[in-house]
Amino acid sequence: MSEASATVMNLPRRDAQDKLRGRTKYTNDRARPDMLHAVLLRSTVPAGRIVRLDASPALACPGVRAVATGADAPGLYGIGITDHPLLAIDTIRYHGEPIAVVAAETEEQARSALAAIILEIEPLAPVLTMAEALEPSARLIHEDWRGYEVITEGGARTGNIAWEAKSSRGDVDAAFARPDVRIVESSFSVGRQSHVPFEPRVAIGSWEDGRAHIQTSTQVPWTVRNVTGRVMQLPPGRVRVTVPPVGGGFGLKFDASIEPITALLARMTGRSVMLENTRQEEMATCLCRENAEIRIRSAVTAEGEIVGREAVVLMDCGAYGGEQVFLTTMTAHTLGGNYRVGATRLVSRAVYTNTPPNGAFRACNGVYNTFALERHTDEICDFLGFDPMEFRKKNVLGDGDLGPTGQVFEDDVLGPMLDRMETLRAKTGTLEAKADGRLYGMATTVGTWFVFTGPSAATVNLNADGSATLVTSGVEIGSGTMMQSLPQIVAGQLGLSPDQVIVREADTDAAGLDVGVGGGRTTVSIGAASISACAEVKEKLLRAAGEMLQTRPEDLVLQGGRVEISGRPGSGTTIPAVVAHAQASTGPITGSGAFTAKNTPAMAGCAMGHFIDALDIPVFVVHEAEVAVDPDTGHVEVLAYRVVQDVGRALNPRAVMGQIQGGVVQGLGYALHEEVTITADGRIAQDDFETYRLPLAGDVVPVVADLYEGAPSLGPLGAKGAGEVPILAVGAAIACAVSRAIGKPVRQLPLTPPRVLRLLHDREPQPDFPHIAPGWATNTLG
Amino acid sequence: MTVTFRLNGEDYRFRDDPMTPLVDILRQERFLTGTKAVCREGFCGACTVHVDAEAVPSCLKPVGLLEGCEVVTIEGLSAGHQALHPLQAAFEAADAVQCGMCFPGMVMSLSAFMRDNPDASRADIKAAMVGNICRCTGYERIVDTVADCLAQQLHTAKVAGGAGV
Repeated sequence: MSEASATVMNLPRRDAQDKLRGRTKYTNDRARPDMLHAVLLRSTVPAGRIVRLDASPALACPGVRAVATGADAPGLYGIGITDHPLLAIDTIRYHGEPIAVVAAETEEQARSALAAIILEIEPLAPVLTMAEALEPSARLIHEDWRGYEVITEGGARTGNIAWEAKSSRGDVDAAFARPDVRIVESSFSVGRQSHVPFEPRVAIGSWEDGRAHIQTSTQVPWTVRNVTGRVMQLPPGRVRVTVPPVGGGFGLKFDASIEPITALLARMTGRSVMLENTRQEEMATCLCRENAEIRIRSAVTAEGEIVGREAVVLMDCGAYGGEQVFLTTMTAHTLGGNYRVGATRLVSRAVYTNTPPNGAFRACNGVYNTFALERHTDEICDFLGFDPMEFRKKNVLGDGDLGPTGQVFEDDVLGPMLDRMETLRAKTGTLEAKADGRLYGMATTVGTWFVFTGPSAATVNLNADGSATLVTSGVEIGSGTMMQSLPQIVAGQLGLSPDQVIVREADTDAAGLDVGVGGGRTTVSIGAASISACAEVKEKLLRAAGEMLQTRPEDLVLQGGRVEISGRPGSGTTIPAVVAHAQASTGPITGSGAFTAKNTPAMAGCAMGHFIDALDIPVFVVHEAEVAVDPDTGHVEVLAYRVVQDVGRALNPRAVMGQIQGGVVQGLGYALHEEVTITADGRIAQDDFETYRLPLAGDVVPVVADLYEGAPSLGPLGAKGAGEVPILAVGAAIACAVSRAIGKPVRQLPLTPPRVLRLLHDREPQPDFPHIAPGWATNTLG
Repeated sequence: MTVTFRLNGEDYRFRDDPMTPLVDILRQERFLTGTKAVCREGFCGACTVHVDAEAVPSCLKPVGLLEGCEVVTIEGLSAGHQALHPLQAAFEAADAVQCGMCFPGMVMSLSAFMRDNPDASRADIKAAMVGNICRCTGYERIVDTVADCLAQQLHTAKVAGGAGV
């Protein structure tokens, strides 16, 4: 049996039955009667100075066991730079910022005690938009920005610009000055998107034998461990993080937030302490996909060659840098992806504002950069008279083409995927007839994303009953990786069935370092580490079996729970017999494995301030949408949606299809009706299910998908991450289709009915960014 | 105030504020955490239970209105070693579950819907799901599974009916 045929299957999920019976204990199902409950005192102004803070009167309130403020955990954390306190210290930077915390016997007692805390804030005029933050005279949101510890070198920053990443390849000025080109410029703006995981951010902290133990709903146990150590000024090794099943993450839980507070209170009280965001808190302080402003210009010849391109992307990081610092990197790979371009220069800036901090959300800034790039591509086609499909076929990245950082792409992937989309459409047909008098539009768009590789570790213990235990820091967030692809991979390596593979849930005391579950990386990185652990197990197992069977290990194979002599099915002995022999003679059979990024190089001098200079594993998509727009109401109905996705190799095709359907639908929400706005006093206006409009069953259509296999990948058996990327090009496909339907340029998302009506009647102001200078270089820190 | 009702087949007596939402009693007093408190405003459906065989969001049900009622939660739908409800079994077989937090509510809503609407179309199923939100799956596999279950239910009824003739 080949490695692939032993691994690829539509394995169902082992956690489904308990989830369906309501027996699964997520973190927020683990309250016990002896636990304390913590409640946060949050800021009700977006900016200010703390003049007086005395939390001690709350200690006298009934049931209260501890109070804490920023002074109790003074360390700062962050990504790239450490700008973020656990609880506000002296300065308030956003509405909803935690200032103090109370732990009491009941949640009601803790909440009542908040009123006893003495707090005086001198309000400051908030800086709510990126335009305001970039004014030369703007107040600094972080007065001490120069003093922050820099964890990652290389990014330019100043004042309200938390981080800047640039990529530059070739002579862009010369390209734009060519006499044979025409120049197309477009501006785009997008709002935030709220993740709305059904389980909010929640943690239970306890203090055990002089160490913190945090159980929490996170995608990144090692980040929680390290941040807790940092803010509590403890060696991170004195923090243990374990992760029960997670009720949805979508990137929101890819950073630490409230978890360390529970450890702090547990140390103070000696009790277990639970802290759970209410739904209102969760939405009002959601680390949203950031709002952004994009200006892009291209120089294109009459033959349709893109000889020059430049862009400025402003990303609102909110009050603290967080993920946006890292994500400035991704502009080069997304806005700079998809197409073969001559000379390119791109700048991406994370800008501080007095608004709730933003974070990571499935495919992150790729979602809006793809929207901007694909709509810009359609505007090029409109302006120069090209057919949009032919233009894409001619210009998509292919074998040997260069990205903006000088990365060399391997193999032709997007071109054949576009052909596959045409084949798929021929099979499904189109649904123009269903528009029934409404305005009809169809568009095909492309997208470039990646697998966030990075470090993972795995240990495999082979047990005497023939089962294997896989120990990693992986987390089951719903995508199924821990339930499907990982046991499939280990079973395939060791000749077992997947139900013989026990998968341990994350415990930083048991498993090695891991970057976390996100970025489409789990199957690839933990999978590769698991294969490497299995190699050691296999080597030990075959050596022991060789002794028992008096056969050379290289003549033995693992199959169906047995060690057999190659080519002689039924020969040899069972794995349990070999394990028992090994345990008695040389000791238990275990293996450990590790994986990390290959760090594919960029061209010298092309990438500045980037966390990832070039993509180890690019991932491509082709998305096609058909829409009908009601000209009277502005309502957009999605009639059909088709996807061709580069999966490398689908280890569990049915599970991949489930991810595609779910990811596309989250993208439809983003494209059409999930809208976050900031009020005049700096609040997120949509902080409940009534005001934030999530997709419902009646809004969606069955997505028809074709899995494109065979593109190069470092992943196990050639797999790529399949769960993150399905959302990537949805905003793009819907915007392009709506634009074609209504015959107007679409430059903002979401396309709510009022916005579509305004576009139809030429009453929608087009994005105009006076704070983005006409000369590209003026928008950089040199 | 004292309220007495049946909870998963047993008597349960509650003495406290009659305005307490049922979901809080289930989760905090009885540790029946299969009922999920997600939006607490009646939009998401994750806290759906059966009250006198009707699917209702337990976050909007003050316990004072439950005197003498029969309340069944997801834990009571297929307790202990009892077989899964056919819809639960079908969701498992179809690989419909992802994070899983909406599913107890989905099962409670849709099991009552299937009982009352054996001839429902796909459009009817989608309309019935207006009060059950799922953030992970994009719904279609859930709708397909309910449709398949209904077809199976109809087929079984026909076979049973045929045998009786």
